[in-house]
Amino acid sequence: MSDRPGPSFETQAPLAPQAEGCGSRTRIAFLILLAFVAVSANPALAEIKSGTDFLSPELRRQQADETRNPGFFWVEQGRELFSRRPAGEGQACIGCHVEPQQSLRGAATRYPQVDAATGRLVNLEGRIEQCRVERQSQPAFGYETPELLSLTAYLASLSRGLPMQVRTDGPAQPYYEAGKAFFERRQGQLNLSCQQCHDGLVGQKLRGDTISHGTGTGYPAYRLEWNDVGSLHRRLRACSLGVRATQFEAGGPEYLALELYLAARARGLPVETPAMRR
Amino acid sequence: MNFNARISLPASVRAGEIVEIKVLTRHPMDRGGQSDGKGGTVPRKILNRLTATYAGETIFRLDMHTGVAANPFVSFTTRAIETGDIVFEWREDGGATYTRTARLTVT
Repeated sequence: MSDRPGPSFETQAPLAPQAEGCGSRTRIAFLILLAFVAVSANPALAEIKSGTDFLSPELRRQQADETRNPGFFWVEQGRELFSRRPAGEGQACIGCHVEPQQSLRGAATRYPQVDAATGRLVNLEGRIEQCRVERQSQPAFGYETPELLSLTAYLASLSRGLPMQVRTDGPAQPYYEAGKAFFERRQGQLNLSCQQCHDGLVGQKLRGDTISHGTGTGYPAYRLEWNDVGSLHRRLRACSLGVRATQFEAGGPEYLALELYLAARARGLPVETPAMRR
Repeated sequence: MNFNARISLPASVRAGEIVEIKVLTRHPMDRGGQSDGKGGTVPRKILNRLTATYAGETIFRLDMHTGVAANPFVSFTTRAIETGDIVFEWREDGGATYTRTARLTVT
């Protein structure tokens, strides 16, 4: 931690009273302070909760209700795209992935992962694009296009309710470390790290919204703010803008590594796509 | 995909019962007014009216304005009379209309 002043979560701890010759009181207070700092500084000890837990009960009901959650339009469109033959020689996705309800159930819980052939980290969007370019010989959709969002939402929705279980060892480890470093690094004009809000100030308000642990298990999600379904990287770009830091390219290596770290933090939490967020 | 609709009805109801009908629509509801980059403005393009017809009668009508969010959701109730189609019609700015029907089974 830098010693610059700022909204650091350590300042949340109760301040130890000034020493006034009363040794035991001071020592107890100091121990409490130490314990508090230790707990709040270590995300592994804090219980990571999903974004749904920070929604209003009304919005939570809306998310769970297929007749009211607009995200399911994208899932539906993704299902159609999945079985539609692309122009030319290529096969439809369903040609290889028969019975996606079984064969692809749980697939989304393992992304981002390192692609064995190239050794690079890919997320679900990246894998779909890779399939489309290499197997279907089609031009890539492009990040944040309605088609890619729909397919991603559909595939992720097949893992709804299953726990996240990304790998962070082996070839994924350097990416995980990079993502962790990104999460902990102060950046931008406001000199904030992701950790300061998403570990230290969880449950508190920021512009009328409640700060969550930022697990990303609901993405692509329908955000009321967007009136639309958007990817996790769109949300990360918004966060970067919020702290007045460099906005990286959606689908770029910085956000991919961060996505892996967030997915690792969310290990055990269920996939909620298409979730609703404020 | 500009327009899509999801209409939810109970599977079957008894005659005389009050039925809740839920309608979720996919539409950008573009309020317009932004610059089109050529000196003009983008025209408004929203669904301005939704009507529902059942047993030969209009049972619901909703006029929508620019304050309505994208992908609007509405629910309303009607009294079940006879088995038949409920016909929904949306009127979009520019004159396009979209129609969907949902079967109400009355026992």
